[in-house]
Amino acid sequence: MKTRILGFVGLAAVIGAAVFGLVVVPADLNQGDAQRIMYPHVASAWLGELSFGVTALAGIGYLWRRDLRLDAIAHAAAEVGVLFTAFAIWGGMMWGRPVWGVYWQWEDPRLATTALLLALGIGYLLLRRLSDDPARRATRAAVVGIIAALDIPIIHFSVIWWRGLHQTPTFGDPSKLLNPSAPGLFVIALMGMLAAFTIVWCYLMIRRYQLARIEWQIEEHGRLGRISAARRAAALNAVVQETSE
Amino acid sequence: MTDVGFVIAGYAVILGGAALYAIALGRRLRAARETSMKIRRDAEAAGPPDRTA
Repeated sequence: MKTRILGFVGLAAVIGAAVFGLVVVPADLNQGDAQRIMYPHVASAWLGELSFGVTALAGIGYLWRRDLRLDAIAHAAAEVGVLFTAFAIWGGMMWGRPVWGVYWQWEDPRLATTALLLALGIGYLLLRRLSDDPARRATRAAVVGIIAALDIPIIHFSVIWWRGLHQTPTFGDPSKLLNPSAPGLFVIALMGMLAAFTIVWCYLMIRRYQLARIEWQIEEHGRLGRISAARRAAALNAVVQETSE
Repeated sequence: MTDVGFVIAGYAVILGGAALYAIALGRRLRAARETSMKIRRDAEAAGPPDRTA
């Protein structure tokens, strides 16, 4: 019930933030209306990276404690992370075409490293399908999740380390955070969208974690059922052999 | 396509995608819960597990 309320709050917050970003905030002097895509784009990008950070931390926790609940958290975060990273890329493309003149440029380090994170996230989810053994699957996934998270600081610093199309961070250092170069209304719209998306992210994480736990229980039941059936078959075989001798 | 077209496409895919994922997740969760309940009911109907096997 509490999770459902969180979902409705998230929905209302996203609608409010979208109306604020689309209607209340004026168009940018240089970028025009295309600037409005920045609000969901940046929020999606930050939450995508947060998701893969959670996947890595939960993966480290799993390797340390061998608790499958941590693997369920890692799995949930990876799936939600793939979703938000895909949103970030889509938003960036829809902004890039009118402002940069191109949807995509592979030479840009920020774009390429973000695409790499999406590919690693999809790879993580595919890898999980390769094994039926929960412990083996969780171990392999944890390793891939940690490797994927190594890309997050590279994405962040890519605009500082290398030259590309993507602009340098607007909120990169604490002084910019307190005194951003963007106008106040733009910052409020961005932070509002980030807050709304964060609520939705929490809702999706909880739901996906619940699903992962139930799926694990069903899978475990199926595995125990197969073991039990195999034991019964072996016992029956032994009886048949005894009686035929 | 105009700037407004790109804005609409950007918001529609992101917000619509999130909504579709939330709905799909809800359905997957409901189906998993039903399967889990069915397993529990079947287990209760079958009685205690066979320890001799």
